[in-house]
Amino acid sequence: MARDFRRAIVRTVSAAGIALAALTTTCLPQLMSQAQAEGFPEKPIRVIVPFKPGGRTDVVARLIADKIQEKGWLEQPMVIVNADGGAGANAIAQLQRGEPDGYTIMHWSHEILMSIAMNLGNFKLEDFRSIGLTGGGSPLWAVRKDAPYKSLEEVVTALKEKPRSLVEAVGIGSIPHFIGAMLAQEAGFETRYVTANSNADRLRLLLGNNADIALFAASEYVTQGKDLNAIVYFGRERSPALPDVPTATELGYNVVWANPNWWLAPAGTPDEAVQKIAGALEKAINDPEIIEYFKQNTLDPYWTDGETAMTEAQETLGSLRTVAERIQ
Amino acid sequence: MLDALLVLFQVDNLLFLLCGTALGIVVGAIPGLTASMLIALTLPLTFHMDPVNAVTLLIGEYVGGISGGLITAILLRMPGTPSSIVTTFDGYPMAQQGKAERALALGIMASVVGGLVSWAFLAGMSPTLAHVALQFGPWEYFALVLMALFMLAALASGSLVKALLGAALGMAFALPGIDSSVGRDRLTFGFDSLLSGFGLLPVLIGAFAISQILREAAAPAKATGPFRLPDRHLPVHVSDIRRHGPNMMRSSVIGTWIGLLPGIGGNVAALISYSIARQFSRNPERFGKGEEAGVVAGETANNAAIGGALIPLITMGIPGSVTEAILIGALTIHNLQPGPLLFQNSPEIAYGIIAAYLVANILMLILMWSTVRYIAAIAQIPRAGLLGVILVFCVVGSFAVNNSFFDVWVMIAFGVIGLCLELAKVPLGPFVIGFVLAPIAEEQLRASMMMSDGDVTAVLQRPFALVFLVIAFAALLWPAVSAHLAKRVRRTAE
Repeated sequence: MARDFRRAIVRTVSAAGIALAALTTTCLPQLMSQAQAEGFPEKPIRVIVPFKPGGRTDVVARLIADKIQEKGWLEQPMVIVNADGGAGANAIAQLQRGEPDGYTIMHWSHEILMSIAMNLGNFKLEDFRSIGLTGGGSPLWAVRKDAPYKSLEEVVTALKEKPRSLVEAVGIGSIPHFIGAMLAQEAGFETRYVTANSNADRLRLLLGNNADIALFAASEYVTQGKDLNAIVYFGRERSPALPDVPTATELGYNVVWANPNWWLAPAGTPDEAVQKIAGALEKAINDPEIIEYFKQNTLDPYWTDGETAMTEAQETLGSLRTVAERIQ
Repeated sequence: MLDALLVLFQVDNLLFLLCGTALGIVVGAIPGLTASMLIALTLPLTFHMDPVNAVTLLIGEYVGGISGGLITAILLRMPGTPSSIVTTFDGYPMAQQGKAERALALGIMASVVGGLVSWAFLAGMSPTLAHVALQFGPWEYFALVLMALFMLAALASGSLVKALLGAALGMAFALPGIDSSVGRDRLTFGFDSLLSGFGLLPVLIGAFAISQILREAAAPAKATGPFRLPDRHLPVHVSDIRRHGPNMMRSSVIGTWIGLLPGIGGNVAALISYSIARQFSRNPERFGKGEEAGVVAGETANNAAIGGALIPLITMGIPGSVTEAILIGALTIHNLQPGPLLFQNSPEIAYGIIAAYLVANILMLILMWSTVRYIAAIAQIPRAGLLGVILVFCVVGSFAVNNSFFDVWVMIAFGVIGLCLELAKVPLGPFVIGFVLAPIAEEQLRASMMMSDGDVTAVLQRPFALVFLVIAFAALLWPAVSAHLAKRVRRTAE
């Protein structure tokens, strides 16, 4: 019995093996020549996301990759690879592991500038080639609805009367910390801090009366901010979803933060590959379904080409460095 | 609510729930693979599914994944998931004493009770509980963790010095990474991969599973005799309800409460309820040597923590852990944002999650109870083959956390460290406790001090924190006080 069974298995496996081998030998050369005729991409493109699945950077990458595949804007699929850890160092190590051939790219945001400004990790902007930006979103400052201050002006007045009397929930050395420090510098006030490493922490501390001010993405505020009151928006213009929240610029403070969805390749990636990917991304961000998703989630859908994006990033990095020197 | 339950009994939802739970149990039982990994892996599949289907699948995976961990923890002393570390403390000694099936049955029972009690909290008083949990700020987190640390201080039987050494080593390995209070790298020695510290999973898998594999490779376990299935009759009685009931209820409440607090999850819940069960026990010296109450406390609490963690998720959109963060991701892709508006905008999802959690627990009971006899037989598979397979899964699992090979090296290194500790008779329990709890205590204390501008007396205005601190010091001093009292009583008797 047992021997028969074993023999049957061996037979099935070897039959499958032969079939597979036949299939690959006949079809593979054909597939290869087809791909070569069309040029880049000849194989799937790996998109590294430096977070675990589920966050904004990951979801946007997946939506856009799905759309590009659905419409056939690239001959090969884009595969999302999540590489959390080491404050982005793990993702960057993976990006730089192979040849800079365009088959491994990254989707991140201006958080990468934060790591560079804080000297975390061993990389600089020159290590990357910018493919482009597919939109982005701006955050806002919120206070509790039942707080005695209803506007940024009232918060600033309160802090000027009693310096350090309000607690701001921030992740030290992260985006909320930097934006808060920029505003504090502009308006000339000082807050106390409490460590909060995520949006969830900031929400929890603010609602539980353990902090007075916290920064949220506009989308987070729209869905979770029932008991909160947004006092200032850090976008260039008011958000269509939050028409009543003034921008910092309107209030006279020159603080703008539009965190983009930034697509990056390793430095030295050939033009052909970068242009091909950029073309597909630009089509995707102009797709009605993607635009609809962005609007519903208070993100701004727009396309910025690689070089402009890099110039903007260099400017932003410059101002972040001055903030970093001040707060350290 | 009833509607949601009925929706759940549609064939497709039930099927997804069943698949999720079964898959979760298998993955949860394999050391190295965890519930959050499974959920992250299946997340892209759910993007194209109906949202209710997606939620039922993921909740099933979550419940199954946490429950399955007890199997390998008891049979092989390798926690299938980090939440089951505590189960190895007493479950494996029980198995060695020939009571593997009883340990499994108790663990399953405890898991279900924990799940059902926390479901009652979830369904009945989510908004209230979420509101109270919000009052917990850095001071309360710090005091709570300190309380657990003090209660666990005397956890190790044997040399106190060695236990402290283990704890100190655990704390030392928790130091590298970005210091969240200053935002700078600390003790990374130029390794960028260390910027997020040593990962919890690689360290635990290394210290428990790899060290166990190395030990057995050096000294193979004795042959367990011919393959046989255990008796049909499972060794649990009605009397167990009386014996373990209070412990289960207490551990359920503790587990739900710890789960409710974002940022600390099932493994901390199990550690804390284990320490409290030991404090309440009439024979605390038996903990760590095969005490049933230890298995019950840990397994009740880690399952209860799931229900607890779902409370802030549903009511406020606050994820309690990585797993919940991924669940939120699954909902956002369907344009559903968990939060205060979820019950108004899409009640079928909000109640669907609650109902799915209940049914997943029941399915988990059925699945595990009906297969427990076969599961127990795993221990009789020849070790040489079994451990090889487990080693492969450990490597795959550690790699898969962040798609990084660095974590695999970390796992192997901690395997060797774990083996050395064991050979030096330094207990692994305090090591793990130091590694898991100390960083939370440190971060929260420093956040508290930041918040109060360096004023320690600010804690006097925090009643919850004060209560925890008083209990903590009482637990620390109690052995000395009770010994002193006993001496005086004896003297007056003379």
